[in-house]
Amino acid sequence: MTTFLQACLDGLLIGALYALIGMGLALIFGVMRIVNFAHGAFLMLGMYASFLMFDRYQINPYYGFLPAGILLFIFGYLVYKLLIQPIRNRSEFMQILMTIGIDLILIDLAQLTFGADYHQANIDLVNRSLHAGPFTINAASLLSFGLAAVFIVGLQQFVMRSRPGQALRATAQNRDVAPLMGINVIRIQGLSFALGIAFAGIAGGLLLPALYLFPSVGEDYTLKAFVIVVLGGMGSIEGAAIGGLVLGVAESLTSTYIGNQWALAIDFVLFLLVLSLKPSGIFGRQRA
Amino acid sequence: MSGWRFWVLLGVACAVCCLPLLSNNNYLLQVLFRIALFGGLGLAWNLVGGYAGQLSLGHVAFFGMGAYGLAIFTAHHVPMWISLLLAALVSTLIGGVIGKIVFRLRGPYFTLATIAFAEVLRLGAANLQITGGAIGLSTPSLFTGEAFWKLFYLSAIVLAVLSFLANYWTSRSRFGYYLMAIREDEDTASAVGIDTANYKLRSLLISAYLTALAGAFYGSAFQFIVPDSVLTIDISVQIAIIAMLGGAGTLFGPIVGALLLVSASELFKNEFGERHLLIYGTLIVLVVLFLPEGIVGSLQQHVRRRRKPPASSAASALGRAEVQGVAEQ
Amino acid sequence: MRSKILAAFAILASATLCAGQNTIRIGIITSVTGSQAAFGEAHKNGYAIALDQINAKGGVLGKKIELDIYDDQSKPDQAVQGVSKLVDQDHVPVLIGAYSSENTKAIINPVIQHQVPLLIPTATADNVMDSKSPWIFRICAGANDYAKKTIEFLQHNGSPKTMAIVYEKTNFGQANMQAMKDEATKAGIKLVAVEQYEAKSPDYRAVLRRVKAANPDVIYFCSYLLDATTLMRQSREVDINPRYYTSSGTGFAAAEFPTPKGAGKDAEYTFSVSQWLADAPWPGSKEFDAEYVKRFGSHPAYHAMQAYESLLVVAQAINAAKSLEPAKIRDAIRSTNLKTSAFGPVKFDANGQNQHVVLITQVQGGNYHLVYPPEVADSKPIIPAPKWSERK
Repeated sequence: MTTFLQACLDGLLIGALYALIGMGLALIFGVMRIVNFAHGAFLMLGMYASFLMFDRYQINPYYGFLPAGILLFIFGYLVYKLLIQPIRNRSEFMQILMTIGIDLILIDLAQLTFGADYHQANIDLVNRSLHAGPFTINAASLLSFGLAAVFIVGLQQFVMRSRPGQALRATAQNRDVAPLMGINVIRIQGLSFALGIAFAGIAGGLLLPALYLFPSVGEDYTLKAFVIVVLGGMGSIEGAAIGGLVLGVAESLTSTYIGNQWALAIDFVLFLLVLSLKPSGIFGRQRA
Repeated sequence: MSGWRFWVLLGVACAVCCLPLLSNNNYLLQVLFRIALFGGLGLAWNLVGGYAGQLSLGHVAFFGMGAYGLAIFTAHHVPMWISLLLAALVSTLIGGVIGKIVFRLRGPYFTLATIAFAEVLRLGAANLQITGGAIGLSTPSLFTGEAFWKLFYLSAIVLAVLSFLANYWTSRSRFGYYLMAIREDEDTASAVGIDTANYKLRSLLISAYLTALAGAFYGSAFQFIVPDSVLTIDISVQIAIIAMLGGAGTLFGPIVGALLLVSASELFKNEFGERHLLIYGTLIVLVVLFLPEGIVGSLQQHVRRRRKPPASSAASALGRAEVQGVAEQ
Repeated sequence: MRSKILAAFAILASATLCAGQNTIRIGIITSVTGSQAAFGEAHKNGYAIALDQINAKGGVLGKKIELDIYDDQSKPDQAVQGVSKLVDQDHVPVLIGAYSSENTKAIINPVIQHQVPLLIPTATADNVMDSKSPWIFRICAGANDYAKKTIEFLQHNGSPKTMAIVYEKTNFGQANMQAMKDEATKAGIKLVAVEQYEAKSPDYRAVLRRVKAANPDVIYFCSYLLDATTLMRQSREVDINPRYYTSSGTGFAAAEFPTPKGAGKDAEYTFSVSQWLADAPWPGSKEFDAEYVKRFGSHPAYHAMQAYESLLVVAQAINAAKSLEPAKIRDAIRSTNLKTSAFGPVKFDANGQNQHVVLITQVQGGNYHLVYPPEVADSKPIIPAPKWSERK
């Protein structure tokens, strides 16, 4: 029983970070219906940004993730203006192609700038653990969890309460009618894209202490983000948050009871199960 | 293009494609093999992605199943050429099963599901004994001897021609019209009485069979396969990009796409070393920005616009401006 | 205007031709991009240092050498294409490469078909040498040697009875796991746990907890660069205390591993096989390390050294053969008999395998120390590894 609960605990801790990544993608998909294949690459950029601050200026990633997030917000907006906005009305094919192109460019740019070699940010906190009864909690993971939770709740409140947030939801619900409500769809889409990317950057910064950093580190996370978004229901932010936690726990349990190498497979198995049984996801509206 | 003119042109094209057989440069033949093979792959994908409009990014599943099928069946003492056919048939069957599940979904859900299936296969191949795990398997060479690459190149041309013919036939048949109807508006097509699930599945089966054959030849040519060489998502992406950049839903689009992208990729690698992915990605971005219908598609549109009488082109331009104006609010 | 262009073109063409005639091209296949790019980079760096060294001494056969590098993108089929491009198109007389075991395995047949000698710098899987072809040479020791040496060391130092193998899900990991499985069974050591893990996922606690439950005397890790750091850190967290932590090199032998940038204090007491150390008692070893740090800002892992040494051996062979004919170069490589070099003595056996000595190191006081074989050891091994709770 302890093993089971410990596994769940570990899963929840990493799940919060997954939630951040998923929510970012859910935002982009919900408002713009774009399947952002470059999501992981932006996460990777967030990691590199945090790493640079850590390496050059000794800024702890647990502070550094904030400027990384802001940098990525700006960068995301630029990418939107230059590359996404011009093709807003093109076919889905072309939009996906575009994000794939962006993905390739970002990865290669990262390799050219930083080299292919692996990097790591070693922080003392990562080596500390707290003990609560029979359970071990890694201190760094707990901090990541806490910070991620703040942002998760923050985003949810923003989307629910604030005016731009409401505009976001309106555009997500019906892109064609939203302009009639006085919503500047282009600007809202730009905001959602930038925000989604910023969240990927924040997640990257928070993941830095736990992961190895190299140009293609984000690729697996793009796929995970898709799974999370589908699990939670396309376009639902709360769903993505829950989806992230569910995925984290599922991976952890698989790792513990079946084997670490199958953890990635469980992502896809869950994905296919949800798609087959309830395509609109846990929180999704009935709109497959 | 009709009747005998078509067949003559096809014959001439084939003859031209056979010219490289006169060369003895193995490297050139290998690159041409790749171009021809990916041309065939793009054309096969075009049936599902172009005509039926279903953006599949999981086609590598069939590619890989073809390659692994060939390797596994031959390892169990099935004669090589029968292994080839068996591998393609098994891939098609599994494709059918996947199709039944996946075609219930639409748009991005569909795409993501195809990715998921391919990834599950890759993980399976990387973890199971029968596929050799991460260590991989040796594939038998379907051809041996001096003319090795010439024969493989020829096979790739044959496959490409088959895929082309499949496209040609589809584009002129009722089957093809149904697929295009599904592409344009699936709900309406269904309402009008078209059995959408059935036709989508059929296009997938043909596509899967051709893709699996290509995969088997690829595995055989390079004699050694690992999950990372025949089951990765970037092969799916490459196939889709070739068709889309060339012009999805057009007859010649995938051919143009393959010619351009595969040779560009090889050229970039030799000239630019590390920067080649950057240039490749930039190429994609530029084409998406400026050639939305793909190269062949844009050419066709250009030609069509030239042919239209001025009055109606003004009207259509006006119409487009209206729609854009509202959206741009 | 047209004549100007033509003239420029002619000058360019003749310049390239001249260049071609005045340099000798050596074909190299490695992973410049793709999942193995980090190691491809190590290779490139090693080759670069060797290149400059050789050219500074006058090059080969009186001409400078030039590297013709083909990027296999970490994929075996691309590596095969590389053989064709380098040999059929560029007519190189000799090949060095590839990086990974699967890419190297893939090029064996094409290389034999093209009848050009191949010197393998880094691939350790043993199936790579299965062909027993006279055209294939390997400079590094294989996975089998890693396992044999580790078992030998263990039997001379306490003879543990049970072992757990924790390996990465890649060709490297699987090959080393298999090699150790065979050797341990031969030596009568019971394998109580054999656990695979996904290289890129940073959470190995579940795996480590299962290993802890099996209570092995010794753990054998088969890990790459950074897994090693995470594994040791998480081993402390999970509190596993075998008598010995051993490994099949790479991650556990990386220069950063015992430093704060790596596992720091958690690396202490781990044993590793090693192909090379900066502090190894071989001439040129420290100089290579210093040059690498000067040029690239970090310490070289042994992959870089293997690349460096391979190019040196090939250059030396061409000089000895006094010819650019592949067959003659092949014979010259076969007769290589370097009593010592920065990578130790180099001599290839009948199968083309260099009899490279496998070393066992242990991290003591934050540094690698040679603890086995006794002839080259500079320190005594510390056994058992103190429990985590007892360490400072």
